[in-house]
Amino acid sequence: MIDPFDAVAGWLQEHALIPVLFRLGWMQWEDVAYGWALFATYGVAQVIATFAICLPLERWRPVERWPDRGAVTVDVLYTLISRVGLLPLVTFVGFYTVQVALNGWLTEHGYVPPTLERFVPALLGHPVLTFLIYAAILDAADYWRHRISHRIGWWWALHSLHHAQRQMTFWSDDRNHLLDDLIGALWFGAIALLIGVPPLQFPLMVLLLRFLESLSHANARLTFGRIGERLLISPRFHRAHHGILAAGQRSCNYGAVLPWWDMLFGTADFSRSYAQTGDPSGEEALATGSYLQQQWAGLRRLGTTIGAPRIGAMRPRARTH
Amino acid sequence: MACPAWADGLAFVVNSGEASISLLDVQQHRELRRIPMLREPHHMALTPDGKSLLIGDTAGNTLFFLDPHTGAVQRQVAVSDPYQLQFSPDGRWLTIAGLARNQVDIYDAASLKLLHRIPLAAMPSHMNYAPDSGVVYVSLQESNRLAAIDTKTGTVLWNAEVGKTPAGVLWSAGRILVGIMGADDIAVVDPASGHVERRVQTGKGAHNLFLSPDGRTLYVCNRVDGTISLLDPRTLVVQRSFRISGGPDDLDFAPDGRIWATRRWAHSVAIIDPATGQFQTVEVGRSPHGIWLNTHEAAPAAPRLTMNAP
Repeated sequence: MIDPFDAVAGWLQEHALIPVLFRLGWMQWEDVAYGWALFATYGVAQVIATFAICLPLERWRPVERWPDRGAVTVDVLYTLISRVGLLPLVTFVGFYTVQVALNGWLTEHGYVPPTLERFVPALLGHPVLTFLIYAAILDAADYWRHRISHRIGWWWALHSLHHAQRQMTFWSDDRNHLLDDLIGALWFGAIALLIGVPPLQFPLMVLLLRFLESLSHANARLTFGRIGERLLISPRFHRAHHGILAAGQRSCNYGAVLPWWDMLFGTADFSRSYAQTGDPSGEEALATGSYLQQQWAGLRRLGTTIGAPRIGAMRPRARTH
Repeated sequence: MACPAWADGLAFVVNSGEASISLLDVQQHRELRRIPMLREPHHMALTPDGKSLLIGDTAGNTLFFLDPHTGAVQRQVAVSDPYQLQFSPDGRWLTIAGLARNQVDIYDAASLKLLHRIPLAAMPSHMNYAPDSGVVYVSLQESNRLAAIDTKTGTVLWNAEVGKTPAGVLWSAGRILVGIMGADDIAVVDPASGHVERRVQTGKGAHNLFLSPDGRTLYVCNRVDGTISLLDPRTLVVQRSFRISGGPDDLDFAPDGRIWATRRWAHSVAIIDPATGQFQTVEVGRSPHGIWLNTHEAAPAAPRLTMNAP
């Protein structure tokens, strides 16, 4: 039976995207458009599945209750932009363009980008295992990207937008500064060039991984148990990373899906209970501003921190309320 | 990988969206198994000696050699961006278009030694040779042009505008036919000058062209309209049209006269009765693109205009 997501993406492509591309004279981008249709379809499924599972969890065992959930609304917008709307399109086209340009340049200089299966030929024919290895490599790479983003002053200025949220919910996973997202995409692209990441071969597994990332931000008293927490990152584990005492360079628990990298490199902290989240050093607009106000505040903070390599140089600012 | 030895009667379908080849039973119209590729395979070509079916994996930068009788992987060769590939009629050259990298490579077919790399902007996609193998014609999708390349020297003989987003290229009766995907026609091009002599309306998104094995019918897939037009190859008069939804792309012809067409956005192959236009479908992988049936009479040195998505 045809995967229902693929059926929806195929319908979108045939009845919505292709007529538009034809009218605009952009038919050469039909393959890219189909990739985006798949991306967006799975993105919608991600949002729906995450909503359907995480919302009851947050209602059932909330860590915090807020009378006013206005700050959460902006995170919903971040999620929709990131998983369904413009960002996947830009990332998809941008990633494709950058990858092609880089690959072309490398090829001209006698280097054909490898794949993991070329390094380990036995993996060919075992796509699920291959994907899991890729996922682990990317998760490790993301651990270091994330950890470094806390150590470098200007990068933290951008990343602090993600940490500013005091009403952290499953919607908060995608609340990032656009420049932070861009750096993340470039980081991911560099790794992809080294090992040849399969982009859309396993959309369901990507969906599952993104769900786990959203779940780790949930406002829910949820732990996977002593052993389970050492296999997959739980909301309790990741909440320690977002705790106000952990904001900035002294943070812990940087991992996204697997806690192994934190355990391996000495940054895991399984002891903390459900901490209050937020970043007291950031201005209020980063926490409760509108989408554009948050983005602008991130740029402002970036401006003040250029030249200051460590966030220790930044002084906490008083809350306005 | 152990492979059962199948008698001839296999269809190879390239699932570009999930990096695999579907192997179909031509008689029973069912999928037998899938052969894993690396990243994003698109097209294929049979070697002149008929011993290997080459499949280009673009994002995997790999050329797979498969046994055309069993589907067993014989070997892999690192090649940059092998999108479209075709052997010359005399079996001497292998031309590979790199759509993403704006390059056309001409290899010595026997040794796979790269002889010429021709940078061609932008998006070189489909190709076909002159019958004497002296010139290969390549459509440039993004720049709306068709380029003629001397296969011996790698020199671009001409590079002419032919219409919006040109795709399929087919040498037919002393002229070049080009599917104009950004419009609704095929361009009839003079092979000597690149001049468009006339246009024949077929349907929106005219994409790819195929000549039937008996040479009596020219098929044109119209991607946007979701139709396949049947033309008289001599007069280019449109005789009929079939409605084939799901983005019809590449075709091949079965011994029973039926036409096998990949449907890019419908996860399937349509098996069409050319007498009625009725079709049944066989499910394959995501975004099926190239298709080739190993049921043809083996005449590998001759150009198979119907194969390899010219």
